Amino acid sequence: MKIKKLFSIRVIILLFVLLLCLIAINPNPYASGLEVKNVGGEAASQGIKHGDVVESINGETIESIEEFNSVIGSIGVNSTFIFRSSGGEVAYITTQKPEITVQIVRTNNIQKGLDLSGGTRVLLRPDVERTVSDQEITNLIDVLNNRLNTYGLSDLQIRSAKDREGTKLVLIEIAGASRQEVKELIEQQGEFEAKIGNDTVFVGSEKDITFVCKDDGTCSGIRNCDESANGAFCTFEFQISLSGDAAKRHAEITKDIPIGAEEDGGRVYLELPLDLYLDGQLVSSLQISEGLKGLETTAILISGPGNGATQEAAYDDALKEMNRLQTVLITGSLPFGLEIEKLDSISPLLGGNFVKNAFFVGFLALITVSIITFIRFRKLKIVLPMMFTMASEVFIILGVAAFIGWRLDLVSIAGIIAAVGTGVDDQIVITDEVLRGQERAYNWKQRIKRAFFIIFAAYATTFVALLPLWNAGAGLVRGFAITTLIGITVGVLITRPAFASIVEKLLSD
Amino acid sequence: MSLEEFYNKNYKKLLVIPIVVFVLSIVYLTIFSLNHGDILEKDVSLKGGVSATFYIDKEVGLEEIKSFLEKDLGSSDIFVRNLVGIESAQNGYIVEASGVEADTIKSVLERNLYVELTEENLFIEETGSRLGEGFYREMIFALVIAFVLMGVVVLIIYRSLIPSMAIVFSALFDIVVTVALIDLFGIRISAAGIAALVLIMGYSVDTDILLTTRVLKIREGGIWDRIRGAAKTGLTMSVTTFGAMLVAFIFSTSLVFRQMFLIIALGLVVDVIATYLMNTGILKMYMRRKYNEN
Repeated sequence: MKIKKLFSIRVIILLFVLLLCLIAINPNPYASGLEVKNVGGEAASQGIKHGDVVESINGETIESIEEFNSVIGSIGVNSTFIFRSSGGEVAYITTQKPEITVQIVRTNNIQKGLDLSGGTRVLLRPDVERTVSDQEITNLIDVLNNRLNTYGLSDLQIRSAKDREGTKLVLIEIAGASRQEVKELIEQQGEFEAKIGNDTVFVGSEKDITFVCKDDGTCSGIRNCDESANGAFCTFEFQISLSGDAAKRHAEITKDIPIGAEEDGGRVYLELPLDLYLDGQLVSSLQISEGLKGLETTAILISGPGNGATQEAAYDDALKEMNRLQTVLITGSLPFGLEIEKLDSISPLLGGNFVKNAFFVGFLALITVSIITFIRFRKLKIVLPMMFTMASEVFIILGVAAFIGWRLDLVSIAGIIAAVGTGVDDQIVITDEVLRGQERAYNWKQRIKRAFFIIFAAYATTFVALLPLWNAGAGLVRGFAITTLIGITVGVLITRPAFASIVEKLLSD
Repeated sequence: MSLEEFYNKNYKKLLVIPIVVFVLSIVYLTIFSLNHGDILEKDVSLKGGVSATFYIDKEVGLEEIKSFLEKDLGSSDIFVRNLVGIESAQNGYIVEASGVEADTIKSVLERNLYVELTEENLFIEETGSRLGEGFYREMIFALVIAFVLMGVVVLIIYRSLIPSMAIVFSALFDIVVTVALIDLFGIRISAAGIAALVLIMGYSVDTDILLTTRVLKIREGGIWDRIRGAAKTGLTMSVTTFGAMLVAFIFSTSLVFRQMFLIIALGLVVDVIATYLMNTGILKMYMRRKYNEN
């Protein structure tokens, strides 16, 4: 038999699709190095971006995550920071510790879901009695996205979901963030109010606050740290600019407030302080110098404390508090409060292990299927094309997933195994029809047609059965439906016709 | 007596086996749901609660962890498992409890194990009970819708009531008996597990469609020959998939995987009864009545 005969149009189509999938997956096993996963604060405003491939820091070549963490950890405040990466060189004097996390450069385009890469997943329900419109959810997602990005979490996915009663939910998945940080960032609706006594001077909206200084050492940073009774405390300070209206209000309110007694060091303040409230809670009380009394001032210096057992801890706490407050002031408040319905933090260690294990298990399953089919058919001419078809199906599912940007999670991988399982079933049907046809010398075409009636009927039923899984449970098992659907569709349209053609040719020989 | 003679003589009597299995399953599920409040025992992601995964240097007995958690949390609904196959020098454990706060579990673990648990070695998944219940209802609803859609498609394909009903009933049989087995094995179902049930329906229908098509549509040879041919193909299908699922179940480290593969493997075994003891009998009776074929 000539090899050429094997390349029927159906086989050529399969090979062509495999080639397209190879392009979609774009494997690059020789890629190495580290890329920026999350970047925030000063580092981000200086131009370091998500996805930059790290070359060196302060002249030191960086090769592993451990190395990166130790070098970045050694950089404090007021030190020179020279960051060389694929994005170019960024150099500046730090006013805060660089907030950068890295990951190993991806060797292909297949994206991993949260339960394989590790991270935090939050499912939120708007805390309101009325129905929330789609527009409101879109706004909410915008604010949340902006808030998390401003805070320095850039590797994230937000989408809306709905439960069966029609209540809208928001699902956020963030790689490499801590549970506590995410919780605090999201639970705060972020309604900011600055009051003197009972009078509101300004609120956290663009109308009142025109500028918030963030990540700029000249107008924002940790100013002093000291010992306290319970350890240490640090004070953060950053500048904001008020609008003309808010400045006028400031003048109106302060002009009637009496001046207090002289304090140590000769400083004199007004009797009432400027109280800052976030979601109804007092965050900080700022004393107002007598010079500001009745003055239309637009520049306000916001300050607040951070505490900790050691100075370092207090410094970090102050930095975090400042970052949160700045983030909320810049991005504004959420249109409504949110209730956390589900908060998962997933270990990256476990996820990495699952990926390796899935490959291993998939391989074992393939071998098992091959052994059983060999026992049944006793022909390598049948078993080898079967193995090729199964491997092709896995590859095509991965290719399509990479192409549509679907993030593979555990249920998606289970879906791949399930799809390949149905694939094997269909190949057995085809083989049996072909063999039976051979026994009785029936028309080949007729045989294959019959086999495909069974295959299409089975396909149609499995297809419709999987559809309801799409949205159930906030779409958390959608991956199973997606990969299985891709797999069985590719199977009936591309791989199984090719398999039929190969087996037909090989057996008729 | 050959298998053919035996079958032709007893195919009606053989129907008793699936009927008995089905009735027993229904009875068992009724008793189970009276005792547990539902036909399935749900895991914390479907009823609300906390699942905590942690890594520590020392080795602790599962019973020990369970007992101090039960004592300190005042709850008996606690599950403790080992993490297998992790590439780490540390020991990994998973603890599941419902009706408690994440922070409480953390402090109880820290106090009893004398370790500090941080964001680096403790990972918590917390689901509100309202959401968990909602998810469960949605998944069950999805299962029901999937069942109905599948039935409609089968009816469209075959356009005759009794063979279609046989397929639909066979899928129902598979689901009911598999759910009974899930309860019997003490599996606490997750959303992924329910997705696996949906897939069982798919696999179940595959073998039934093969059988029905061979018997009803491709009418070559006697009914026995057609059934035998379909069974040969169908059983090969089931055995290969079962083998793959069993191997996958044994060697998987992920609990999500293990549950899905186990459920699919159970469903495949159940389906053999449904397809070859029940569906064949119904089809044979149908063909005899309608076409007077033997």
